Amino acid sequence: MTYQLVVEPLGERIEVAEDQTILDACLRQGIYLPYACGHGLCGTCKVTVLDGEIDHADASPFALMDFERAEGRALACTARMKSDCEIEADIEEDPDQRRIPIRDFTVTVEQVEDLTGDVKGLRLALQNGPIDFQAGQYVNITLPGVEGTRAFSIANPPSDNGAVELQIRRVPNGKGTGYIFEQLKQGDQLKLSGPYGRFFVRKSRGGPLLFLGGGTGVSSPHSMVLDLLAEGYTQPITLIHGVRTQADLYGVEEFTALADKHANFRYVPALSSEPAESNWQGARGFVHEVAESLYGGNFEGLTAYLCGPPVMIEACVNSLMRGRLFEKHIITERFLTAADAEKKSRSPLFKSL
Amino acid sequence: MSGTKKLGLRQRYEHLTRGLDWETTYQPMDKVFPYDEFEGIKIKDWSAWEDPFRLTMDSYWKFQAEKERKLYAVLDSFAQNNGQTGISDGRYANVLKLFLTGISPEEYQAHRGFAFTGRHLRGAGARVACQMQSIDELRHIQTQIHTISHFNKYFNGIHDFSKMHDRVWYLSVPKSFFDDARTSGPFEFMIAIGFAFEYVLTNLLFVPFMSGAAYNGDMSTVTFGFSAQSDESRHMTLGIEVIKFLLEQHPDNLPIVQKWVDKWFWRGHRLLGIVAMMMDYMLPKKVMSWKEAWDIYFVEAGGALFQDLARYGLKMPKYHEIATAEAEHVSHQNWCTFYQYTHAANFHTWLPDNEHLDWLSEKYPNTFDKYYRPRFEMWGQMAKEGKRFYNNALVQLCQVCQIPMVYTEPGDPNTICFRETQFNGQRYHFCSDGCSDIFKNEPEKYVQAWLPVQQIFQGNCGGATIPEVLDWYGYKFGEDNFDYVGSPDEKLWNEWHADKIKAAS
Repeated sequence: MTYQLVVEPLGERIEVAEDQTILDACLRQGIYLPYACGHGLCGTCKVTVLDGEIDHADASPFALMDFERAEGRALACTARMKSDCEIEADIEEDPDQRRIPIRDFTVTVEQVEDLTGDVKGLRLALQNGPIDFQAGQYVNITLPGVEGTRAFSIANPPSDNGAVELQIRRVPNGKGTGYIFEQLKQGDQLKLSGPYGRFFVRKSRGGPLLFLGGGTGVSSPHSMVLDLLAEGYTQPITLIHGVRTQADLYGVEEFTALADKHANFRYVPALSSEPAESNWQGARGFVHEVAESLYGGNFEGLTAYLCGPPVMIEACVNSLMRGRLFEKHIITERFLTAADAEKKSRSPLFKSL
Repeated sequence: MSGTKKLGLRQRYEHLTRGLDWETTYQPMDKVFPYDEFEGIKIKDWSAWEDPFRLTMDSYWKFQAEKERKLYAVLDSFAQNNGQTGISDGRYANVLKLFLTGISPEEYQAHRGFAFTGRHLRGAGARVACQMQSIDELRHIQTQIHTISHFNKYFNGIHDFSKMHDRVWYLSVPKSFFDDARTSGPFEFMIAIGFAFEYVLTNLLFVPFMSGAAYNGDMSTVTFGFSAQSDESRHMTLGIEVIKFLLEQHPDNLPIVQKWVDKWFWRGHRLLGIVAMMMDYMLPKKVMSWKEAWDIYFVEAGGALFQDLARYGLKMPKYHEIATAEAEHVSHQNWCTFYQYTHAANFHTWLPDNEHLDWLSEKYPNTFDKYYRPRFEMWGQMAKEGKRFYNNALVQLCQVCQIPMVYTEPGDPNTICFRETQFNGQRYHFCSDGCSDIFKNEPEKYVQAWLPVQQIFQGNCGGATIPEVLDWYGYKFGEDNFDYVGSPDEKLWNEWHADKIKAAS
């Protein structure tokens, strides 16, 4: 049994299991709520329940007073939902975030192409109207015979709103991607919903931008860069796209053409496992290593957008922080597979990193 | 959704705090804030301070008032129902003696310290947060005094806790810890108390006492624990914000902060030895061993924290591995010390009985049977023969942590650890490399230490004999000190439970 939870002021809608705490559900969906003790004693995670019914469970009477309970306050770390709910949490609304209602779409597979040996590019035409989204956001797809949904970033820019393009790498033994690689074909119909996520360009901040994409993690930056250049963003934009070998690289022609056309856009494909004797003239090394050498280890003044597998994000965050770029200026989107769900113990030091 | 947007919590809070700040013109800002530069910390932009919580004064009073109502209702009912007779055992009262004389006065010191930083930090956001914490700390000591005062009606040794805190030999350990922090600059105080103490080590201090109270039937202390803990969230988030802010503001801050983290981790570790002893030896009903608590709260939780802090280049505190190794020894070495000096303590001691010894053997398989159990068994044998062992020599103290030099060499539990150094022609002694490093970094500060043993020898503590000194401490000789068995505390407890004792025999 699951319930729907709307988290204000973000307007995010997530699913919460019956016995799951609101805090746990939010953190797992990438929505950071302030918290500390995690078991109802300190009160850091206090939220307001705007609508719906919750059970306070073990909330301490000192951390959550009677008058607060009467006023609809709750501790996210102990509260369990008894119905669909809407809460308001002490999180900051980003001035660049648009409130776009999530919609369900029926799509037709317009094109399936091999981008590399293990990456497919899909173009899905939307049947019931265009999709409004911010570059960087993702959609959830329901695949026939596959339990749950699968999340993929939208690779095309928001101006191209009659379809969504996805770049999908085959996950070894993955059910969802297995279906896409083995069964999906042109003309098939699928259901998807979106747009989701808080990975979008903080345009109002201005300043030079650094995009770091690992593997198919380049899909969001692809959308973001196209969007920015089309809008006439004049500050320097750098994209480092890291893959293993030349055979894993895709999108080179398009990005190279963009770099030729726009003086403020720099495109750096980086290969981590390219044989030393190959003809590759470009950058070698992991994304974070290439970024370090490109910027001389100093990232001050940038805003960085990181998109890719957790190890790559972790390595990049470490490099960026060593180069004095901190949490406020590092925006990440982690590509998690079902196998990445292992829970590592973390301190409450960082909100989103 | 309506068209007009409400102010976010953050904006509302900023208007009510930083919005009321101003640049001084009658006096230059550097004169108004004279202490926030000498430590070498560089702040480029105070406006980058992220308010760790958003609680305004008016709601603060509302919250705290309700907390007080709840707490005092529990205290009243505890008193009316003679809750003191329902604790697990009369020995438990000694835990409260340790708490009220050793810990509660530090709440007051924390209050003073945060009042200082709440005045002297230049950023208004940080000042407001510190002021709020300052008032919290005052509330904590007040509620602790009120809670434990009920026990003072029945049990000995806490009638003059404040004077004892200032004078008693072992209480100079917590006292000097906070004196050190309070005589530091405002940024060091924030790292020492706001970060190292309130964030990294707080769970090792409060959880043992409060769980100990819960396990041993002391509902009043549990309740003040909950009441205080609901404030701790603000203290912890303030500690986190402080360290992030300093590390993000300027690269030159990193080595300074690292040195403070090293120092205050080690000082905190030394201070917590008293909690270790309380957990392993003084709670009639045990919660968990000190070693288990250390593994959960420092090795795991602290490890995760420092793994995240590593992104800033901050390393695990120096000597953390030694501290972790000492978690197998410290409680035993401390209790052995108090057992030998029971005549000079304001609480009672006892030898662990067989069941307790077995528990310790089980919890400390690497060390207890090998090093400590034989000692307790020998002392037990001596006591049986009417030769209860007292140590009448005055101990040598560490110049920094002020703990008697009773700890052993890392890796060699049969050799006492001594370190020494010379400064201005004088020789100074330390219990460890950790304390020795702290001294060498600021010798001018630590040569001024008020060391209880030296003070006795200099004739500043009431006289030359033990009874004279104890009298000066404010002890009632023969009531407050010596073993629990045979004490007035024990007599009273047995009277309360005479029926049960009779029924059992």
